[in-house]
Amino acid sequence: MSVRTLKGNGRWWALAGCLLWLAFTFFPLYWVAITSFKTPLGVVGGPTYIPFVDFQPSLSAWRELLSGERGQFYNTFIASTIIGLSASLIATAVGSMAAYALVRFTFRVKLLSALLFVVVAFGGYLICYNIFRIGQALSLIYAFLAALSLAVASSRLRLPGPVLGNNDIVFWFVSQRMFPPIVAAFALFLMYTEMGKIGLKLVDTYVGLTFAYIAFSLPIVIWLMRDFFEALPIEVEEAAMVDNVPSWRIFIGIVLPMSKPGLIATFMITLAFVWNEFLFALFLTHSKWQTLPILVAGQNSQRGDEWWAISAAALVAIIPMVIMAGILSRFMRSGLLLGAIK
Amino acid sequence: MTRNDPIKHVFIWPALLIVLVISIFPLIYSLTTSFMSLRLVPPIPPRFVGFDNYTALLQNPRFWHVAWTTSIIAFIAVALQYVIGFAVALALNARVPGEGLFRIGFLLPMLVAPVAVALIARQVLNPTMGPLNELMTIFGFPNLPFLTQTKWALGAIIAVEVWQWTPFVILMLLAGLQTLPDDVYEAAALENASPWQQFWGITFPMMLPISVAVVFIRLIESYKIIDTVFVMTGGGPGISTETLTLFAYQEGFKKFNLGYTSALSFLFLIFITIIGLVYLAILKPYLEKHK
Repeated sequence: MSVRTLKGNGRWWALAGCLLWLAFTFFPLYWVAITSFKTPLGVVGGPTYIPFVDFQPSLSAWRELLSGERGQFYNTFIASTIIGLSASLIATAVGSMAAYALVRFTFRVKLLSALLFVVVAFGGYLICYNIFRIGQALSLIYAFLAALSLAVASSRLRLPGPVLGNNDIVFWFVSQRMFPPIVAAFALFLMYTEMGKIGLKLVDTYVGLTFAYIAFSLPIVIWLMRDFFEALPIEVEEAAMVDNVPSWRIFIGIVLPMSKPGLIATFMITLAFVWNEFLFALFLTHSKWQTLPILVAGQNSQRGDEWWAISAAALVAIIPMVIMAGILSRFMRSGLLLGAIK
Repeated sequence: MTRNDPIKHVFIWPALLIVLVISIFPLIYSLTTSFMSLRLVPPIPPRFVGFDNYTALLQNPRFWHVAWTTSIIAFIAVALQYVIGFAVALALNARVPGEGLFRIGFLLPMLVAPVAVALIARQVLNPTMGPLNELMTIFGFPNLPFLTQTKWALGAIIAVEVWQWTPFVILMLLAGLQTLPDDVYEAAALENASPWQQFWGITFPMMLPISVAVVFIRLIESYKIIDTVFVMTGGGPGISTETLTLFAYQEGFKKFNLGYTSALSFLFLIFITIIGLVYLAILKPYLEKHK
């Protein structure tokens, strides 16, 4: 028994507090679940609480929803699933690679090269757009390519000034999350629209939304996976290196299998983030690739107080993540998430 | 120990490129647009206007009102999340009976889509058909305007934020509590320190670095709030619960006033950076004292 275990009365007070919080947590979820089984009359007639006692449960809301006579539920559900799974899979893969590289390899980026990138990207865009009168989309692409190649080329030169190391790169990745997403969502929408004018359709497409989600999940993935890789014993990898196993085979054959729990947890956290995301989907899609949160949010303005139907729709968005919470809590107990905050 | 191997470029460039493209493009685009007068509806040709968009915003009382509303929601919600989250984490760490069940239950709200939460809140808070109304009627307050009167609506939004994000605080603080060493508490128990003294003398100071980080993350995230407000009140009544992100959405997507919206999002970025820096500056002496 640990010294910190509560004794006597304190224990029961803590239990009472926890039960109170549990009631507060579960009541809304319970409420939405039972409301989805009520009939229209049962909802308007005032609150009822216990099925079979207070009211007769009915499947009418679910039947209506699943028959598809009220909006394109199947399409939206499938779109959400495809985007969610592929975005989190790619983000976890790409992010793990970057996180591994940042843990095991040395990176040195000269501050001047980084500044050069920003200056050339801005200047190039302004010059292309205002002086050469090239369209916005092409100006952005040219400016980006010029800035990138100049920055990479300049990093080979001997430049004075401070040098950024691995930790600075990690900080740069993570700091992307500090940005208010409205800045990015709005600009991305305009940029996608511009790209559409030169024939690259990105608004309301699979590629457009998934790409945005991958980019915005990468900071979290890199943050979580870096802590995870750092905790792995390096001896195994060193032994493989002595045998001249190439680095990519060490990564795929040794490191990834060892970090399976971390990869799964990171994947699920990313999936929850993408599945529930609202702002980007609101800006970047309008019909074909609309995701569940947008459809669910729209229920309210379309239907007013038809709570039975709204509840069923909301549950479709909630249930997959609830199942995931059950799985995630196992990882939580294994202490995986401990590392993430150090 | 890090090593050098050309293959490192293969590992890092995919992630680097994706984030660069998605972060630098919008940055260039919106920063340049913020200095221009650009409208899509009605279409007028872009014109360089310098800081006009910024000064117009700073003189717009609606901007200050929206910033104030967002701050109230963020600060009160995060304070409540922290206090409740810490209490629950302490209880779980002290092996309250049924702790395993609580852990799964407490995690749940975090994973529910905020729009779904807001829709549930609208049902529960319905002034005539909702269960909360029935409860309040028993106490003699029938038909309270939960979502249609400013103070109640702000309270409702804060309550929903607390419901949804306290689990995050619990998760992080619980992980932190589990890393604290046992021997300090054993020594304190020998000295007959009361649980109250142990908390303020040992637990709280040792948890300070994690607390600072958790509150910081929650504060920054809370300032971004849109989906809950969008569904629950739509910013109403009037504009009294409108938040910064919702304001930007209205200006950009309803009025298509692009220059103005870009300037707004950058002011938002500056605002949030200042708040983050002030927060860290205030807490720095305490953090160093306990190191």
